[in-house]
Amino acid sequence: MTSGTTEAPTVEDLVEGVTRWCAAFSAGHLERDARARFPHEQWAQVCRSDLLRLPFDPDRGGLGRDLVTTMRVLEALGRGCRDGGLSFSVCTSMVSVGVPVQRFGTDAQRARYLTGICSGELIGAHAITEPDGGSDALAMRTTGRRDGDDFILNGGKAFVTNGPVADVIVVYARTHPDGGPLGTTAFLVDRDTPGLVVGPPIAKMGLRTSPFSELSLEDCRVPADRVLGRVGSGFLVLDHVLKWEVLCSFAISLGEMRHRLARCVEYAGRRAQFGRPIGEYQAVSHQIVELKVGAETTAKWLYDTAAKVLRGEPVTTDLAITKLVAGEANLASAMTAVRLFGGNGYTTEFGLEKDLRDAVAGTIYSGTSEIQRNRVAAMLGVGR
Amino acid sequence: MPQTAADPTGEVTRFVLTEFLPDVAADRLDPDEDLVASGVIDSLGLLKLIAWLADRFAVPVDEVDLDPDAFRSVAAIAAFVTATAGRG
Repeated sequence: MTSGTTEAPTVEDLVEGVTRWCAAFSAGHLERDARARFPHEQWAQVCRSDLLRLPFDPDRGGLGRDLVTTMRVLEALGRGCRDGGLSFSVCTSMVSVGVPVQRFGTDAQRARYLTGICSGELIGAHAITEPDGGSDALAMRTTGRRDGDDFILNGGKAFVTNGPVADVIVVYARTHPDGGPLGTTAFLVDRDTPGLVVGPPIAKMGLRTSPFSELSLEDCRVPADRVLGRVGSGFLVLDHVLKWEVLCSFAISLGEMRHRLARCVEYAGRRAQFGRPIGEYQAVSHQIVELKVGAETTAKWLYDTAAKVLRGEPVTTDLAITKLVAGEANLASAMTAVRLFGGNGYTTEFGLEKDLRDAVAGTIYSGTSEIQRNRVAAMLGVGR
Repeated sequence: MPQTAADPTGEVTRFVLTEFLPDVAADRLDPDEDLVASGVIDSLGLLKLIAWLADRFAVPVDEVDLDPDAFRSVAAIAAFVTATAGRG
């Protein structure tokens, strides 16, 4: 992905670099989706592309790029890569482990994990949601009990993206029984840790090449030096991760929306009905305009919020609106594309029904659309 | 409670009232009231409070254990600030 010169590559160089890889990343995506298989071959290509190195410390093998640049390149990934599951797994590995280790990790943790996350040799995941939980993520039942130089983790997690293929998982557990949000601690747990059992991939609607699973933790002994951040600061770690997760994963969605828009414009100009290209009918052209409005609105919220994050400003409301706008716009865009392509859109061959199945997830993960509305209401003081 | 120039109790009280209890008079807020158990401060509120403590008092929130009991009341928060401010 680098330019091959001694000068640091520009954002445009990086975008062009990842775009060149996208045909290889996408090859065979429809078949992989049908089989719901993680694309190990394409993951190896992702590793060679240097994509995973983008936001990380050059001392650990990263490219040292900031959040906005990382988003620009991930947007290019979304635009060019048709395997949405692969893109989602890329984003998850970066933000679930790499981002918090870079921000909160000790030197030893950075040495142990960050180099591998940068190269892609290690695949990362995080385990937050529990079988009985969901939107109330911090009401978790998984516990971490101090025992000498270790913590003993017990409990279970659900919907762990990358779980079946992950080498390291950030597990969030309750270390104080009635500590509220401050009773939660994040732990770096290696896959081969005794007591950690990773379940098989769970069949799901979309993002099928990005496997997820349940985890169980039965007297899982984790050294205290694998606490990520401080004891009790799990929700601070999670807050930092969620900023990156929303901004990076929906930067990918933005790229997918722009790709879909271009496809619909092309199709509407080529497909004729009743003697005219369908784009000449306002019923069609107005739908395409809505795709454009959705993409541009998403872009403004994403990059404006990222700029605020870089300036260290509070973004609780901005992030919730960004997530809400981007998730719903992506879903609406995917549905519009299927309908605009008619019978072709409904077939698997065109890849648009897959996009629609993938897009549903964006209204659920990282806090549902309803939870984002609740957050905005809380920040407005509604109901206080 | 008597307050010295370096005592952050007054500022913490004003912050809690402004952000979480705008309809409560300052003299009606018991410094020992459990703000977490009573639901006055939830997880979003804690984020806001901790960001403010880091910004206003240079509390090194990345470098100290966040004991839940340190955030239960105005008095506990003030004591936490006194013990940790500028330590980073």
